[in-house]
Parts: sequence; C-alpha cells; structure tokens
Amino acid sequence: MTIDLNQLSQLAPIFRELFKGYHVSRRDAELYSQLSNQQDQYRALFKALGFELVCDTRGFYYFVPEQMGAQVNKTAQRLALFTFIIVEHLADQGRDPLAVLDGGSLGRDELPPLLDKYHDLFLQAEVQTQDELEEKVMRRLTQLGFASEDNGIYRFLPPMHRFLDVCLSVQQDRDLAASLHSALPLPTPQLLDDDSGEEIIAIDNTEEETEEQAMARAIAEEQELDA
Amino acid sequence: MIDPKRVLRALAEHWTLLEPLCERFDQGTLSLVELRNQLSAQLPEGTPTDVTALLDQWLRLDILIPVAKSPNRFELNAQIHDFLAYLRREHRLGLCLEIEAYLRHLERLAKYIQEAFDNRDGQDLARQLRLLDMRVRDVLKKLANDEQALVGVAERAKTSDRQIPLRQRYAEVLATWDEYVEPMIQLVAADGAFEQGVYRVEQVLLRLLGEQQRLGHLVDDDLLLRTHARILDMQTTAQLTLRRARELLLPLREEARRHNAVTRGAALALAAIRKKGLDAVPQAALPLFTRPQSNFLGTAAQVEAYVYALARFEPKPAQFPKASGPRGSKPTQAPRTAREMLERCENALPLPDLMTWLLEQEPEGATDELLYWFSRLSRDSRFQRERLERRDYLTTEHQVSLSSFALLKSGLPTA
Repeated sequence: MTIDLNQLSQLAPIFRELFKGYHVSRRDAELYSQLSNQQDQYRALFKALGFELVCDTRGFYYFVPEQMGAQVNKTAQRLALFTFIIVEHLADQGRDPLAVLDGGSLGRDELPPLLDKYHDLFLQAEVQTQDELEEKVMRRLTQLGFASEDNGIYRFLPPMHRFLDVCLSVQQDRDLAASLHSALPLPTPQLLDDDSGEEIIAIDNTEEETEEQAMARAIAEEQELDA
Repeated sequence: MIDPKRVLRALAEHWTLLEPLCERFDQGTLSLVELRNQLSAQLPEGTPTDVTALLDQWLRLDILIPVAKSPNRFELNAQIHDFLAYLRREHRLGLCLEIEAYLRHLERLAKYIQEAFDNRDGQDLARQLRLLDMRVRDVLKKLANDEQALVGVAERAKTSDRQIPLRQRYAEVLATWDEYVEPMIQLVAADGAFEQGVYRVEQVLLRLLGEQQRLGHLVDDDLLLRTHARILDMQTTAQLTLRRARELLLPLREEARRHNAVTRGAALALAAIRKKGLDAVPQAALPLFTRPQSNFLGTAAQVEAYVYALARFEPKPAQFPKASGPRGSKPTQAPRTAREMLERCENALPLPDLMTWLLEQEPEGATDELLYWFSRLSRDSRFQRERLERRDYLTTEHQVSLSSFALLKSGLPTA
C-alpha cells in the first residue's frame, strides 16, 4: 500500500493527540473526518510505526498501547470506577444511565452528592475531595476525549462506550459473579500436618506381589465366593 | 334490530363528544356519575336533562351498554369500540393464539370444501369457499390491526419520558416481544402451524382446480383462483407483519437488554470493588490507553543536547574492591528510609525552606537523591505546605533551580 503523505494533512495533530492517549471522536470534526476519510492510510502508517490505531464503529479512534497485558494504569481503574458509580447512581435515581453516558450530560453540581454517597469507593481510588474528583477523574475524562466540559456541564462522548463495555464484560464474567454471590470462602485443600505424629497409613503393601501370587490370590478369592 | 343508519348518524353527530370518551373507555368502564360529569364538561350550555337525553339515546342505539352486574357502570359496545379504534388508527395488539385459531378453522374449512366437492354438492362448496374467503379476510384484518398496534407500542416506548426507568419504559416492548413476536416467529416459521396450514388449504384448492377440469365445474374457477390468491396474500402479509414487528421492537428490546446488562455489570463491579478493592475488576476488561502525560522529549534544543551527550558518552570507571584491602575503611551509610526521613522532617517542623533543610541534613547527598526526598516530603499529606519563590540551591555536584516549600505544621495528628 502506498501512503500519500500529502493526503494526510492532519497527520501531526492526529498523531500528537492519539499518542497522548486521546480518543478522537466526531467532536473533533477536522481530525475525525480526516481519520474516517483516510482510515486505511492512517492505520497502515501508524502500524508501520508500531502503533495500533483502533477504529471503533461507534464513532471514535484511539491507540492501543504496545504493552497489552501489562499493568493497567491507575487512571483506567479510576475512570472505570467512576463509570460504575455513575451507572448505579443514575439507575438508583430511576434515570437512564445509557442516555447520560452515551451522549448525555452531567452537571458539576451533581458531583458532590455522588462523592458523599460513594465516599468509601472513591477513597479506594484516592479521591477524597471534590477538587480531587474533578482533577483525577473529570479532567482526565476530558483530557482523554471521553467527555467535554462546558460551563460546568460535562457532556459524555462516544468513547465512553469503552467503559460501558467494561460493565458488559463484568456482567458476563461468571467467575466474578460466583465469587461475589457465595458468602463462603473459596474451598482450600486441607493439608495434613506432617508433625502431627499420626502415622500415615500405607496404601499399598511394601512387599510387591508377583504376577503368579496375584493370580493365586484371585483364584482363592473366587473359590471362596463360589463356596 | 337497530337501524345502522341511525347508529352511524349518532356517531357522526356526537363524534366530538365520543372521541374523548373513547380514550376514557380505553382505560376501563365509567360510572354514570363520571359519564355525566365528562359530558357536562364538554357541554357547558347543556342542562342535566340534555345529558340524560343524550345518554338515553346512546343506550337505545347500543352505543353504550351497561356493564354486566354493575347497573351504574357503562362501557362502549365492543363492536363500536373496535370500529372507532379502527377509525382512530388505535389498535390493540391481539393474541398470536387468535391467528392460530383462525388457521385451524381454515384447515377445517378446507376439509369441508374437499368433502363438498367429493359429494358433488355445488351449493355447499360455494358456501364453504365463501366462508374460507371471509376467514382469510379476518386474518388479514387482524394482521393489519396488529401491525398498527406494534407501531404504537414502539412509539410509546420511544417517546416516553427519558427520565423514567428503562424497566418501566420498555415493559410493554418486552411483554409484546414475549407474548406476540416470539410466538409469531414460531407460528410463521417454515415448519410452523401457519405455513403448514396455508400449505394444506392451498393443496386442497389446487387439487380442486385440477379435478374441476377433469370432472366438470361445480363452482366458477375464478372463485377458486381468487381464494387461492387471497391465501397467498395472507401468507405474505403474515411474514411482512412479523418482519415489521422485529424491525420495530428488536432494537428497543436490545436496548433494554443492554441497559440491564450494563446496570447489572456496574453493580457487580462495585460490589467486587467494595469486597476486594480496586483490583477486583478483571484487568483484561479495562480499557488501555496511553497515559495523558506527554511522552515527548521536549524542544529541539533538548533533543540536540541529549544526542550530543550520547555521542560523547564515557562510562564511569568501575572500581572493584580489592581482595586484600581493608573493608569498610570508609563505612557506607545505609540508605535512609522514608519513615526515617519523614520523622526527622516532622520533628524539625516548622521548616521555613524544605530544600535548605535537606541540604543541611544531607550535605554530601547526591542531587538526584535530594530531589527525590524533596519531592517525597513536600507531597506528604501530613505536612501543610506553602510554595516559595524560585531560587538556586547548591548541592555537592550541581546548581539546582526550584521553587521550594515551607512546611508549616503537621496536617494530621501523628499516630
């Protein structure tokens, strides 16, 4: 495949954004239209450079980092936690979580009650104050292209589907569900205490039976049964 | 018998009064008082006697009928109600079982047709064919009605308040799917009752056509052909209705299912995190993305300097200890632990300048080590800090320019 660099007029900004972990969606009209018009060329070029460009049909582009399977960074965990919390919070309020997270919006004024309600969970993600929530979660969401902020209103963008997919995959994770639903601890094998002093019962005789002896014993047993 | 003209005339004359009543009757029956109130509201100039006269007329024409065993409650005559629903294009979804029952009847009629032909009974044959034709029209009417009703179900789900829970919003869609679409799929499937029934009736009609050619005509061929065509039409309509039902409801059903899955997944994940911490969520499921920090080296000048340094790189000579030499002539200091440094720092509070304090504490410390302690101590939550002006500090090897902190007092009580 020949790549015509002249056609890739937005190469530099596109690369810069994707490289920073940003998700390009329709909101970035110029970059998005370039990517969707020259999708194959961009993919081939980035692939040659060692970057995998993912074109999600739900309307966004991003780079998969090289170290697949490597440790997930704290930000991803934090943002996933925030998504779970938002979904549950909205569902509890009788609102439609998908309508909010798939193109809907959330006011900044809704964050403090959220922080109060899920204080214990946010604490695990090292988020304790409203400032920290905005800095570590909301700002990251906007930096990575998952949301945009305008006058205290956060609008969620199509890349949020990546986190909704996490919800779906968790839902399908039977091991996780099973480990949660059983209150009992996982069965652990019971080990014999070597120093207990109890004699270990030998299963087989120390003397090995020869084939002839075994045959003779079997015949004798048979005769006993017949008798 | 009630004169149809009078009924139709009454419906036409009182349409403005009847239409709002239809909606009320869709919900259930109405008591006499409710009916009078409703009509009085619509007839502000009408006296109670006028209302009574109106109700009497409707009762005489069987437009209104008293509910059985509840003499003071009324409902619209079911026939009139259906007719008005048809006119208002408001349809209630029927049951799949009704269609199945119609089909069984069609099969029975096909059997009677065959028997009438075998008996060479022309009159009975024509009668049975007419019945068959009417029954097929019933099925067609029902399919058209159901299709309209399905459109209504989808529209109600789509336009209802987005703020109400999806479970409620899609309850009708899910129920319709389970009670109508799913059985319809079974019914219209290639080996389902619909196809088989239609096939049997079709076979009878085609055989009849052939036999008529051979044995002579009992009925007009046109009648047979028309009935046959109508049956094929019914078959196509059923398939189209089913396809339309799927097109309308499947996306909504999927949306509801997806919503349930997402909500359940989120609840599950939160439960797992509560029990086992943030790492409980399967790592493989989490999206990976590059850290938002910039990974670029910086300006061109920095890159140039970096490359320049690389080109002139000389490794430091490695000094190996001599086997014969005395060991520990200059005792090496054990590295400081964070706890030790934090304690020392805490004891020395308040610190007007953290970096100066560090330089006093570790006058021989390497620059990178000092900077590490500077960063570690200044970020610790137990201290309250205040940023100072940028200035230069001299370590043993370097001159460092940074904005230091004044550590004021302990923010948290020490354990």
